[in-house]
Amino acid sequence: MSIKSYILSIIVVLMTTLVYAQVPAQPQLQKVVITGAISHLGNGTVIENSTIAFEGGKITYAGPSSGYTVGGDEKTIDASGKHVYPGFIAPNTILGLVEINAVRATRDFDDVGNINPSVRSLISYNAESKIIPTIRTNGILIAQVTPRGGLISGTSSIFSLDGWNWEDAVYKIDDSVWLNWPNMFNKRGWWAEPGPTEKNDKYEEGMQVLDAYLAEAQAYSTGKFEETDLKMEAMRGLFDGSQRLFINASFAKEITDAILLTKKYGVKNVVIVGGEDSWRVTDILKDNNVPVIVQRLHELPGRKDDDIDITFKLPKLLHNAGILYCLNYAGDMEAMGVRNLPFTAGTAVAYGLTKEEALQSITLNAAKILGVDKTLGTLEQGKDATLFISTGDALDMRTNNVEAAFIQGRQLDLTNHQKELFEKYSAKYGFTK
Amino acid sequence: MKRLVVLFTLLIAPFWLLAQETFPTNGVKEKDVLYHAFTNATIVNYKDTLKKVTLLIRKGKIEQVGNNVSLPKGCVVHDLEGKYIYPSFIDPYSTYGIPKLEKKKYDGPQFISDKKGPYSWNEALKPEVNAAELFTPDDKTAKELRKIGFGAVSALQNDGIARGTSALVLLGGGNENELIIKGNSAAHYSFRKGVSKQDYPSSLMGAIALLRQAYLDADWYAKNTKKKEVNLSIEAWNRNQSIPQIFEVKDFLEVLRADKVGDEFNVQYIIKGGGDEYKRVEEIKATNAALIVPLAFPKPFDITGPYEALYIDLADMKHWELAPGNAFFLNKENVPFAFTTDGLELKSFFKNLQKAIKYGLPQEEALKALTLSPAKILGVDNEIGSIKAGMRANFIITSKPVFDEKCTIHENWIDGKPYFINDINRPNLSGKYDLTIAKKVYELQITDEAEEIKAKIVVTGEDKLKVTISVTRQNVSLSFAPDTTIKSSILLSGLIDGKSMSGKGQLTDGTWTNWKATYKGELENGEKPDSAKTEQATEEISVGEIWYPFSPYGSSKQLKIEDVLIQNATVWTNEKEGILENTDVLIIGGKIEAVGKGLTPPKKGNVIDAKGKHVTSGIIDEHSHIAISKGVNESGQSSSAEVSISDVVNSEDVNLYRQLAGGVVAAQLLHGSANPIGGQSGLIKFRWGKSPEEMKIKGADGFIKFALGENVKQSNWGDDQTKRFPQTRMGVEQVFYDHFVQAKEYKAEQASISDKMLNYPRKDLEMDALVEILDKKRFITCHSYVQSEINMLMHVGDSMGFTINTFTHILEGYKVADKMKEHSAGGSTFSDWWAYKFEVNDAIPYNAAMLNKAGVVTAINSDDAEMGRRLNQEAAKAVKYGGASEEDAWKMVTLNPAKLLHLDNRMGSIKKGKDADVVIWSDNPLSVYAKAEKTYVDGVCYFDIERDKQLREEVKNERNRLIQKMIKAKEAGEETQKPEKKEEKLYHCDTMLDEY
Repeated sequence: MSIKSYILSIIVVLMTTLVYAQVPAQPQLQKVVITGAISHLGNGTVIENSTIAFEGGKITYAGPSSGYTVGGDEKTIDASGKHVYPGFIAPNTILGLVEINAVRATRDFDDVGNINPSVRSLISYNAESKIIPTIRTNGILIAQVTPRGGLISGTSSIFSLDGWNWEDAVYKIDDSVWLNWPNMFNKRGWWAEPGPTEKNDKYEEGMQVLDAYLAEAQAYSTGKFEETDLKMEAMRGLFDGSQRLFINASFAKEITDAILLTKKYGVKNVVIVGGEDSWRVTDILKDNNVPVIVQRLHELPGRKDDDIDITFKLPKLLHNAGILYCLNYAGDMEAMGVRNLPFTAGTAVAYGLTKEEALQSITLNAAKILGVDKTLGTLEQGKDATLFISTGDALDMRTNNVEAAFIQGRQLDLTNHQKELFEKYSAKYGFTK
Repeated sequence: MKRLVVLFTLLIAPFWLLAQETFPTNGVKEKDVLYHAFTNATIVNYKDTLKKVTLLIRKGKIEQVGNNVSLPKGCVVHDLEGKYIYPSFIDPYSTYGIPKLEKKKYDGPQFISDKKGPYSWNEALKPEVNAAELFTPDDKTAKELRKIGFGAVSALQNDGIARGTSALVLLGGGNENELIIKGNSAAHYSFRKGVSKQDYPSSLMGAIALLRQAYLDADWYAKNTKKKEVNLSIEAWNRNQSIPQIFEVKDFLEVLRADKVGDEFNVQYIIKGGGDEYKRVEEIKATNAALIVPLAFPKPFDITGPYEALYIDLADMKHWELAPGNAFFLNKENVPFAFTTDGLELKSFFKNLQKAIKYGLPQEEALKALTLSPAKILGVDNEIGSIKAGMRANFIITSKPVFDEKCTIHENWIDGKPYFINDINRPNLSGKYDLTIAKKVYELQITDEAEEIKAKIVVTGEDKLKVTISVTRQNVSLSFAPDTTIKSSILLSGLIDGKSMSGKGQLTDGTWTNWKATYKGELENGEKPDSAKTEQATEEISVGEIWYPFSPYGSSKQLKIEDVLIQNATVWTNEKEGILENTDVLIIGGKIEAVGKGLTPPKKGNVIDAKGKHVTSGIIDEHSHIAISKGVNESGQSSSAEVSISDVVNSEDVNLYRQLAGGVVAAQLLHGSANPIGGQSGLIKFRWGKSPEEMKIKGADGFIKFALGENVKQSNWGDDQTKRFPQTRMGVEQVFYDHFVQAKEYKAEQASISDKMLNYPRKDLEMDALVEILDKKRFITCHSYVQSEINMLMHVGDSMGFTINTFTHILEGYKVADKMKEHSAGGSTFSDWWAYKFEVNDAIPYNAAMLNKAGVVTAINSDDAEMGRRLNQEAAKAVKYGGASEEDAWKMVTLNPAKLLHLDNRMGSIKKGKDADVVIWSDNPLSVYAKAEKTYVDGVCYFDIERDKQLREEVKNERNRLIQKMIKAKEAGEETQKPEKKEEKLYHCDTMLDEY
């Protein structure tokens, strides 16, 4: 190592130790105008030479540059040739609930008990997670943070990926209740010793448990009692429509059974999550207005005989059937891996969707399914200024490069633990950028 | 049909004790002096049928067979006019009379055998087991086996990898001393450790390695006169070598594996297969092994609905359809085989045998597989298996040819003693009768065939009354309700006289009466109660094609090599020419013939216009765990250098096809990371449809997996896994030093032994692999994460005189890139995984670009069956994170892994003379929007996006056809099994155990 690079590396080391990592941003004080960019509004429209203006955290203009006159007091960002997108939304993630999956002390997403509707991800969300800053640097700015496990896992909340603490970061408190539909087929063995999958004889039994529980929850929701049942209280919102019920179900019959049972008890907003077979039961989904959060695209087909690209083309199949759908990244290595969500949307393009349709599947569609589309999901006047600039197509890992990102107009610090190490060791070797 | 003498005395047990000459007699001694003559019989041996001949036996032996046998005095004569005699059947693979072992409860890690005494270190090696000592006759099972024609079985304790010897036993009554006719009929082996709870072996490849070492140890033990060890297991092993060697396997891939091990030690195994050998009958034939195949066939799946049917794999449905044809396919290729009832419900024996015959197996070959072949396999064909003078009197007497559906077995003679099954003296009552009872006449119909007698009464031509009939000898009993409206029955008893019957009976009101039944003639067709059965018998057998591989997206024909000119493409050469626009690539004879503009098309072959498309060399995955059978980790010991993934390549894994669709052409199939010194790799090309041997890359260097960090320390394996050394990174270093010091000493010792006659050296496969590393003949790929341990292993290498070829995962490689460069180590990394365990907290996606920039040969690998099909996208992340050039990024999944695997002289770039492993992409291959449209391996187009559409249709059609067929089978009354989908084995580095 040369003396020069040695000194440089010492400086970098000092800097990284002195600077606090990723300080949450201040509220937007100054009006910001992004000019000249190719704007992908998230509703299917692309504006080649656009201007996006926002003030006080809200978008005040999103349209052709020709229709906007730049004043004098704004902060102007020239983004000619670059792309602007609404912040991507990651539904159904344990981001913030886990730090290192193999270390039990850092796992906070699955509690004891089979029926846990009152358990809330809200208070477990770690705003200081080192993973979070690595996610938003790929354009994901909103996440629905979701508990896991059991039959009824708990209640999720929606967060913007910037904030000092959970109270600060939360976007919508206790938005939905999460349910794992019983499996018709069970996998035997364990992860290292997978046995065959076989028919679950207790499937009917599991359904009966849910049937009985929903019956009670519905009855409870209509009354007032001198004693409080916290679990039942947590179910109330499902019957007045203030909360949604997300149901993990993959097999065709499971999906159908889930829809019929929740309909029986008048659950207002039901969403199927996973939906490996959802394309086989689009009629019942459509008839009941049930949207689907499509399982992670980058998964292997569930069955050997499936079309080899079945998981890749699932969004297109639902699209063709007129089903509302969005993407998620739940599965193995999901917290750190959710930064690849945009690229799963890119994969859907290779397998049938247009780029703008694929974009919708991680912006507007997701906002609709999560019930936050009034303020999120598109670049439209009046909505939150939660958006980012990428130098290239953000759905392609080859070109995704987020230069600037804003949540409700607040400009984010785009450094992260990994970039810091990159810079630290690049300096060690004297690499130039 | 008369018998002159009825030998009731034969039912008396003491008579049978005659053979036990050493035993005292309790009572008056009986002598076995009489002759038995069976006259006018049809005697059927394999390819040799004698009509109207006499069989003469005495003292359990056949004296004479033929036309001119003169009956001696003192001869019991059995007139077998119209009857048949066959050699009784032999099961060469049975557990009859042998106690079953129970698996012990898991009680934490176990490193050496629990067995007391001077036996093998490994509990699964028990060649000393002697079935003759364990055998106890079991009358109930013997009776069941006799009933279906068996006279002798070779019985073994089917547990463990070396299972000891089997005993050939007769299925008669009596005690062990006379029933065992050969105490060591065969020596037995398998790949399964059985009830042993010892950790090693924990995988199929471990079992294979253990077998190899057992052969070497046995050789050493026999030849080394200075050894300081008494080992009764090895002594038994060596004794067992002179008798037939029978190897039990589960499927056809294991047939090939077992035979390969045998070849290495000049042993020709007889292989007891899983019944799916038809899937690769050519390769099976080439083993030269005689097979023992099951008569147990899979049941159809119970299909309750279209959604449930989705959970049944096509391959399983196809196997259901084709399995009864296994014997037919083997016979067609002249593969010698015998049948076994192992795994069979005995009641299905004849049904399944008839099924195999319907599938095209000639009857005489079926007979051979039950008689002569098992006798030959066990080396006792001069004693049993045919009816010839001098052989044991083991035969069955039947009413018809034995494979006829209506055949009845009358008697089963074992060692000259009869066992009565269906009374030969009972007249056959099939026919129509006028049944007269109290002046009323009924039309009675009786069917009497295949050991079953049924009767009914026909009233006014069609209404049937159920009749219960039972016949013993000359006595007949009938009962029926004369009117369907009343419940009371008429009860009749009588005697049979020729074809007529008569006797006394009681009417429904209890009054006694006389009755008689007068024979009126044979039953006409259509009057038989089970006419449906007969129709079924004549049904044509039509089955689907055998696919190569036996998997969805396989095909009935092997794909052929093509000469191709790809024109006008953007060609990523990976050579100094870089990326060439509007360029042609010519493929001839599996090699790249030319790269350039305006190339001449091949004389015979295809021209592909690839305008707007990109052409690259195929992706090579440096770190893959697909296409591996039964266990990716031999985790039983901290070093398992002796095991090899190349022994367990699974050519049938659909992930090979899925990855071809992602442009992948080759991979290093790696051992897992459960121990510091893992196992040897398998390097394969994805030649979809070929056998495992054909997939392996010929002439490739040998590689071996090492591992560091949390996996080898068992950090995340649970609280009971804290006993195996090492549990810390400190211990990991010691494992390496210790083993390499040992290896050096081993090498020196082997070289220094001068008198190999006196002090024959023990060959140790584990040490041999380590010596290969020291000799730079085997190269290390080491699973690694944090900088301290990476640094450590390079120090070990430096001090021992070898280089770490590749650090795989190497997620903190960027922290020691300069040291790696200096050591000449390469790196093969994940693009962006981190945060899944503590040791990857500092993993960064910039790693690949940084290593590359530092001059380290850098690859990006999958370690994951799903990611394996998107490695082009993973390479693109090196551009995004760290700013590698697109060309450099692309090399990370092609040329660089080729370099790391020492294959870059023939793979990894588009260059004249290199293997035609070529992919045509729809777009820039680094783009998420790119799809592989054609993937060539050695000039064979194994994936074609257009043909894929056709294959999908074939999969769907074949599924539909088989689902329909299964529904029909169920309707026809076949027993079914629950739908069950076999789980795909998806291995990662840290997948530890398997249901191997």
